[in-house]
Amino acid sequence: MSWDSKLIDRAKEIIELYPQKRSALGPLLYLAQEKEGYIDDDSVVEISKLIGITEVQVRSVASFYTMYKQEPSGKYLLSVCKSISCEINNSKEVIDNIKEFTGLANNETDIESTFTFEEVECIGACGGAPAVQINYETVEGVTPTKALELCKYLKEEVPEVIVADELQDKFGGTKSFDWAIEDNSGTSSTAPGFQIIGTSEEK
Amino acid sequence: MSENIKFTVNGNELEAKSGELLIEACENSGIHIPRFCWHKRLEPVGMCRMCLVEVETPRGKALVPSCTTEITEDLVVETESEVVTKAQEGILEFLLINHPLDCPVCDKAGECPLQDQTMAYGPGESRFVEEKRHFEKPISISEIILLDRERCILCARCTRFSDEISGDPLIEFIQRGNKTEVNTFPDEPFRSYFSGNTVQICPVGALTSTSYRFKARPWDLKKVSSTCNCCSVGCSIELNTSQNKMLRILGEDNEFTNQGWLSDKGRYNFDYLHSENRVLNILNKSEDSFNEISISEAMTKIKNKIDELDNPNVKFLLGSSSTNEEYFVINEIGNYLNKDKFLSRDSSNIYFGDDLLFEGYFGDQYSQAKLEDLDNSETIVVWAEDIKDNLPILYLRIKKAVKNGSKLIVFGHTNTSIAGLADFYFGADIVSNKFELIRNPNEIEDLKNNIEGKKVTVIAGKSTVFQKKESLDKLINFLNEKSELQVFNAFSKGNTFGALQNIDEVKGLNEFCNEFDTNAKNIVFTIGVNPVNSSFFGQKIKEKLIASDFVISLDLFVNETTELADLILPTTSLGEKEGTVTNMEMRVMKQNKILPAPGSTLSEWEYLSSILNVLGEDVNYKNENEINNYLSEKYINQEKLPTFDNLNKPSNLFGVINKKDININIKDLEEDNFSLLMVRRLYGDSSTQINSPSISMLGAHKFIELNSTTAKKYGINSKVGNLIQGPNSILINIDINEYLPDDLVIAPINRRGFENIDPCLDFDITEAKNREELNVN
Repeated sequence: MSWDSKLIDRAKEIIELYPQKRSALGPLLYLAQEKEGYIDDDSVVEISKLIGITEVQVRSVASFYTMYKQEPSGKYLLSVCKSISCEINNSKEVIDNIKEFTGLANNETDIESTFTFEEVECIGACGGAPAVQINYETVEGVTPTKALELCKYLKEEVPEVIVADELQDKFGGTKSFDWAIEDNSGTSSTAPGFQIIGTSEEK
Repeated sequence: MSENIKFTVNGNELEAKSGELLIEACENSGIHIPRFCWHKRLEPVGMCRMCLVEVETPRGKALVPSCTTEITEDLVVETESEVVTKAQEGILEFLLINHPLDCPVCDKAGECPLQDQTMAYGPGESRFVEEKRHFEKPISISEIILLDRERCILCARCTRFSDEISGDPLIEFIQRGNKTEVNTFPDEPFRSYFSGNTVQICPVGALTSTSYRFKARPWDLKKVSSTCNCCSVGCSIELNTSQNKMLRILGEDNEFTNQGWLSDKGRYNFDYLHSENRVLNILNKSEDSFNEISISEAMTKIKNKIDELDNPNVKFLLGSSSTNEEYFVINEIGNYLNKDKFLSRDSSNIYFGDDLLFEGYFGDQYSQAKLEDLDNSETIVVWAEDIKDNLPILYLRIKKAVKNGSKLIVFGHTNTSIAGLADFYFGADIVSNKFELIRNPNEIEDLKNNIEGKKVTVIAGKSTVFQKKESLDKLINFLNEKSELQVFNAFSKGNTFGALQNIDEVKGLNEFCNEFDTNAKNIVFTIGVNPVNSSFFGQKIKEKLIASDFVISLDLFVNETTELADLILPTTSLGEKEGTVTNMEMRVMKQNKILPAPGSTLSEWEYLSSILNVLGEDVNYKNENEINNYLSEKYINQEKLPTFDNLNKPSNLFGVINKKDININIKDLEEDNFSLLMVRRLYGDSSTQINSPSISMLGAHKFIELNSTTAKKYGINSKVGNLIQGPNSILINIDINEYLPDDLVIAPINRRGFENIDPCLDFDITEAKNREELNVN
């Protein structure tokens, strides 16, 4: 589906932030991902028109970075860290539990489109290992049991907006660093919630 | 920067320019470092790691890629040490992990850098037992290019070429890591005028062209250097044949002209040489059909006809594919059959088949530009027909100059394809829809500020046959007065400048129509030209040819023009004749022969001198070389003559620039009320192209271009429509081009379906509903 005028206006605002149009490519891809859950061909065409590069150049960037999804994700994207710190702190079991609960292998989405599961490299929360992300909202210090509870909560409550702090309170443990700033904005899609790009949502 | 510095390679002290890349400096000193991704005309990228060498650093010896390392004073380099050898073996082993090693069925085998360098630097045996990655074997990424992703080693030469050099990045790396592949965007094929270059620079057999695929093995090819004749840039090419068939044309790196690149038309427009439609025997028209006759019968016929008609008017219509030697003989016979034999007539009877030819800017007051001047120009000004379509390699040179900092000023309305490159594009507020300057050049601030006292190269030519010379004069004279000006006359067709140099007085097709006296007896020669199909005057010329008493065509095919002839003398073409051609810089270059003349074809000069003989003139040219010597005598600079002997010297392989007096006598067309701007596109329906199956489909795209305001005026919203004029209706694609002024509609001239469209008559455009309708028709 091509972009509506509201989305195009938002895209133009983002382009304004950069000295060169093509520099806005990254954020625009997130915008596309927020809209469709992945980077679809129509969005690629729209973006290429907006910033004046060819479609294949947009696709090249979109397919290089794993956080730009090439296939539709479920409502909740579960990213579990498998890098060294988390591994030492038993991420294996967290991963196994989530896999068992959702019935998904790496990079799979369930039929109901509720969950997409992926194992990822370091998400920068080593101090609070093991860590998981739900739609890129980080929860640290998760235990295998808490991970299961988290999945159940998502499946049963189906929250519209995912806010990191909220999930941290319910399911998290040790945090790597407490910024002591209450952050109430989260994300309602499988794109990371950036206020400046406009992909974040107030709870 | 240009200061020489010393550095050491393998214990030998060498010199190179500061800032030069290590790989290039070594190459210049005769030390070869293996590489895949590095290409001297592309930006270095350090992708393949094959060029790793050992250099001494303060922390000991280290391996660095020599293609991204600039040499510095006293740099110490090892290119053959044990560590380097091991690195090379390792890199090759990595590169071969996913390479299918299907050399026995690969077109590249035999001239493949991966194969060659694996032999020279590889580990000798493979330790890889796992499954290689698989892709669908070749996918077509355009009508003429195929891509085999299994063979690709991800050197990024093709993607860099299309981004940096040709400026149409329609192929890119998709995915990452082990999954990386080169591909296009779905539904957006690699439609580039320069796509063939990616096939030539691909270091493996990943990119292949439809025309050469599975045709030959490189070691069976016979090769000769020559010069392309598709446009007047005169690119250096290498003709590859096998078993007397032209199989491939490659670009040669001529520093002064094409720098290795070719347009796809220059590269793939050769299948016609072996087309079954080609005329191979002399055809004589009796009643309404052609029958074959011998050369002696033909000559007798011509002599009898000239005698019988008793002092006829003889006129010559010329094309742009003859060599200088042939033009020289055409000039001889033109003079003989005119002022020498029939003393009453002293004006020229030779007419050149290019609607856009006009008097141009020659002579002492204008300095003739060279392509290398573009690189040194502070500003480049373009006002001519579409450069990208008609002089594609000139477009690449302009693009390169702009990238290196030259300012580009483009006048409307035909060069919209380079408008995006331009610093200033002068559209509707400066150039009227009739191609007149609305404002005086000295009132245009952006022009004035960028040319005054600066080095400027102008590319000047008519954009349409209706354009008046006056406005161009105004601009050129202004530039000439205010700047250090070099001028290119943008006459784009093949060997136009060779014709201008070797024919005493050249006239145009309009003059032909005006001077043709229907009441007199007329003989017309058409030589390698098809004006009935490709000219604005086509219909008029057709009438004149029908009204002529005798028409003799020297050509390759029976086409719209030659079918009107009484006698068709089949001629030779690229690779079948030897001679010289002159490009737009007045650079004379050699065309070489590698194929025998097929059937009973002869060169144009052989026919013409036979005709002179049969008419009793004592001319006896033995071969091209002799004619070349005659014509060389007329060059102004007698020191550097473009004789065959000179041109065959290694130091002159890039051609020799020399001048002759040029005399063009073509007046502006009186009418200028045109409703449709008809332009030439790179591909069209010339008889050579429609008889070259590998590219013939590229000239079939039917379209018009207009801006959105004009589209609204016609009430068009869709991308498909009908162009209607009288009884003609053509289903067309409607391309919106916002650089065009209001009320100007562009349509292609050299295109099937458009032959009955008259640019002077009113037309209408209506919407066609959808693409399905296009398919139904």
